Amino acid sequence: MRHLPLIAGFCLLAAAMPVWADRIGDISETSVIEQAKRFFSFRDPSVRYALIGSVLLGISCGLMGGFIVVRKMALFGDTLSHAVLPGVALGFLWNMEKDPVAIFIGATLAGLLGGAMVALIRQTTRLKEDTALGIVLASFFAVGICLLTRIQKMPGNKGGLDEFLFGSAASIGRSDIILMAVVTSLAVLLVGLFYKEFLVTSFDAAFARAAGFPVNIINYALTLLLAFSVVVALRAVGVVLVSAMLITPAAAAYLLTDRMHRLLGLAALFGVISGAVGAFISFLTTNIPTGPLMVVAATMVFALAFFFGPHHGVLMRWWRQKSRSARVQRENTLKAVYHVLEAREFDGEGVSLRELAERRRETLDEARAQSDALCKHHMATLHDDGDAIHLTPEGWQRACEIVRNHRLWELYLTNEANIAPDHVHEDAEIIEHVLGEETVRELERALNHATRDPHGRVIPGLADLVSGSTPFGSPETVTGYTSR
Amino acid sequence: MNELLPVFEWQQHVIAPWTTGLKSTLWIVLMGFFVATACGLLGNYLILRRMALVGDAISHSVLAGIGVAVVLALQLDTATLFIAALAAGMATTLIIEIIHRYTRVKQDAAIGIAFTSLFALGVILISFKSGKVHIDTECVLYGEVALVPLENFHLSLTPALVGAIDKLPMSEVYLRGNELVMAPDVVRMGFVALAVALLVWVFYKELLVSSFDPALAFSLGINATFVHYALMALLSVVVVSAFESVGAILVVAMLILPGATAHLLSARLPVILALTVLHAALGTLLGFHLATWLNCSIAGAFVVAGMALFLLAWLLSPHDGLLAQWHRRRNLKLEPPEEISSTSSAGN
Amino acid sequence: MSVNVTKTVEPPPLEFHDLTVAYHKRPVLWGIDLEIPKGQLVGIIGPNGAGKSTLIKAAMGLLQLNSGWVKVFGEPIGKNLKRVGYVPQRESVDWDFPVSVMDVVLMGRYGHLGLMRRPSKKDRNIARDCLEKVKMLPYANRQISNLSGGQQQRVFLARALAQESDIYFMDEPFAGVDAATESAIVTILHELKAKGKTLLVVHHDLPTAKEYFDSLLLLNMRVVAYGPTEEVFKYDLLQSTYGGRLTILSEVAEAVREKS
Repeated sequence: MRHLPLIAGFCLLAAAMPVWADRIGDISETSVIEQAKRFFSFRDPSVRYALIGSVLLGISCGLMGGFIVVRKMALFGDTLSHAVLPGVALGFLWNMEKDPVAIFIGATLAGLLGGAMVALIRQTTRLKEDTALGIVLASFFAVGICLLTRIQKMPGNKGGLDEFLFGSAASIGRSDIILMAVVTSLAVLLVGLFYKEFLVTSFDAAFARAAGFPVNIINYALTLLLAFSVVVALRAVGVVLVSAMLITPAAAAYLLTDRMHRLLGLAALFGVISGAVGAFISFLTTNIPTGPLMVVAATMVFALAFFFGPHHGVLMRWWRQKSRSARVQRENTLKAVYHVLEAREFDGEGVSLRELAERRRETLDEARAQSDALCKHHMATLHDDGDAIHLTPEGWQRACEIVRNHRLWELYLTNEANIAPDHVHEDAEIIEHVLGEETVRELERALNHATRDPHGRVIPGLADLVSGSTPFGSPETVTGYTSR
Repeated sequence: MNELLPVFEWQQHVIAPWTTGLKSTLWIVLMGFFVATACGLLGNYLILRRMALVGDAISHSVLAGIGVAVVLALQLDTATLFIAALAAGMATTLIIEIIHRYTRVKQDAAIGIAFTSLFALGVILISFKSGKVHIDTECVLYGEVALVPLENFHLSLTPALVGAIDKLPMSEVYLRGNELVMAPDVVRMGFVALAVALLVWVFYKELLVSSFDPALAFSLGINATFVHYALMALLSVVVVSAFESVGAILVVAMLILPGATAHLLSARLPVILALTVLHAALGTLLGFHLATWLNCSIAGAFVVAGMALFLLAWLLSPHDGLLAQWHRRRNLKLEPPEEISSTSSAGN
Repeated sequence: MSVNVTKTVEPPPLEFHDLTVAYHKRPVLWGIDLEIPKGQLVGIIGPNGAGKSTLIKAAMGLLQLNSGWVKVFGEPIGKNLKRVGYVPQRESVDWDFPVSVMDVVLMGRYGHLGLMRRPSKKDRNIARDCLEKVKMLPYANRQISNLSGGQQQRVFLARALAQESDIYFMDEPFAGVDAATESAIVTILHELKAKGKTLLVVHHDLPTAKEYFDSLLLLNMRVVAYGPTEEVFKYDLLQSTYGGRLTILSEVAEAVREKS
């Protein structure tokens, strides 16, 4: 019964609506705009309907959007959302008024017909998927436009059908809300009940088929639910931009989590937020349709996830890369200290900054900045009025590890991979920072615990790493593997 | 339902536009034909490169460029529009690339995010500035060919030219005394269509190879990346010039329908290109009369007519049509089973 | 490594130096040093994912190199494009594309034509000769989707012949073709070699590799061995190409990918 928490979550989310709205209400105290006050006072029923409507559309679109994004069907969603337009017009023609149920049925049927036509074009012609989607999208939309413009010129027309193009949250009425609530609950319920089935067919359809899942039926059900969520969002967002409410919140959620159920929850949450913000702004202004505002709000959410996401966010990645290169820099400094010490056969503990700078072919200032970085990480201490550094036990251990990694790798490339000794150094410069403990053990075994690298230098051994507390004083300190 | 479908009258809906209403009819049909030709020729290559939906994306995002131009209170002359469209087209290509490269969001979702965001931004900017609720958004969606300003383009001619042009058919529409009088937008679209046709002709080899086999194109010294970006730039320009008359979404139909129909009918690129132009002409003509009859959006009717032609081709195409396929399957059943397996394996 | 260094007046047709290529930071080729002399028919052998196709694509300049360089006749590939012919894997193109067999072969001539120039009668004759060589002339006007796998491969071969290049790269030309096509391709490879052309052919079938090629390049992320077939086609070398001795290399490659 894994889906129970999911359903409970959504019920909670819906129940928490008033509480959440109260919080926004507090903010409105500071706002000076009359419209905003009116919005947050919730006295106006149209405000209530608009908010509840955007919550419902956020949930249903986020939920279905999660599936189409992971299934790489995003543009199928776009096609479906354009294809409902003729259905909207025919639903209106049914009794010449904006009857939510008639429009709902018409739109759903048109959407399904569009989906079927895409599949049929793919199966019976050489045209590729993108072309098939484009044909259905544009043709159905054109039929819809012809019908709408025709209806506008017919006698007895009450007008206002173009609200369906770009959406108008203010025009949502009581009967719309009831329908949206029913359809959304149905979608949530179905996804909750058949979560497992939807998940497995989305991830690996071939496996699902082999495992006996009715893949085709599940796919039809998904298309149906997709059509449902398009229709739910139709009134507030409009035909043209519904696909954005499907794709963008789900894509933002996809950047933040690796688990499908969390993705669906986050997508629904983002959908709700974008919907509410869009509805709010559209109340402040008089002449901007609601749909584009909701879409821009959703894009903002995506942009935030894109830049600030904890794992995949661009800023986090940039920061991780920076700290990694700082670590590599520190380790290279440690290695340089080791080389200096090695050159004078480990005679004396301190390494002057001048020696370090010469070794790394850098200026004195650069060497100073690097030794400061080492001190900050407790790898070294400064002596002689800051002109020389001594490695701490941790620093010494890390230096030995890096040098060992480098020389082992050079040896491995030369001996086992038949690469010329003068080609291995650059490779080792990169590899030394990423070799893990286990790989190093494997390398040792492969090399029969060799003690000298291809250039004849001693490879610091395990003993040096462990007994790193008092390593200095005698040339024998760096023992290599011979002593073991 | 009678109100939805008015009675069709041959005289009123087919003859009259070409006699009494010839002046507007000619310009509208020409405009539609130029738009469909320019879009269709270019669209062929989008179809071949499996980029039909990138065409969709760019045609939507161009609106953001126009919106920015509107907000900056720039004059919407040809040059400004082209620059705005180019910038928006390149921005879309870039945003798709960035989302695709830096996140794990797949290409299709990246396309969806990029164009809906830019389109929404465009709608907001335009309605913010215009202060009127519906007028611009409608035009954005399905354009209005009938609103194309007529006949304020004047060109004085030498008497010799006047004599020559006078002999052309329907000269009474565009010849006033010794002046050539034309609709400027139609003339501009005509130039765009001509430019596209010329480019397709001049760079036929390069477009063909880089679409078919980019690796071979490279080894022949053709820069496939450059061809890609040039195509996107050309697409932006074509889309923005078609914008006023057919709007953002129906442009997609103009891009894809002619080429897709032609692909069902032939397997030779030159023939396909010719069929594309034929589809453009037929779709425009039929669409125009459909719109006259139903009194609905002309651009929408162009597309509906184009769609009808596509459905016809899909049904009746000699090789790939549904009827032909059905016929083949029926004939196959009459042959012994071994025959079927051997022919089908030879076909693979 | 036994590289045949035959110093001639002309620079070698193909030369790799310390070439490293990575896809998404995962190294595919690592430190390739190689010199291919003129008039060789070289089979490139190695397990899946060993970088065989990558080596060819890198040589043709289709990929960004992470380090090292490739020279074709002593110059960067960009200056010698016309001397290079290419037979891609069959799956790399869309066989529903609306072109005829003749059109595809004529594409091989495009490198010899200028901008705006259409293929001349001479180009058509060359294309026809090439089709004749691969016994595909009767199919010249067919649409390419109506061909069998072997026929598709012959068309690609004819196109490469029409390029009249000096060095040819072929990516798995024997994959999924019938026996008749296979022997036809081998005949043509040897004819080309006899004309002094240099050929690098990616091949996945060990048993036939020994008969088809006079030298072999054993590849697994790096060059395991390169030389005359009889010297290189040895158990221990093949073992180290296909065997597990170098698992550490791929493990480390994985570590590099994860941490950078």
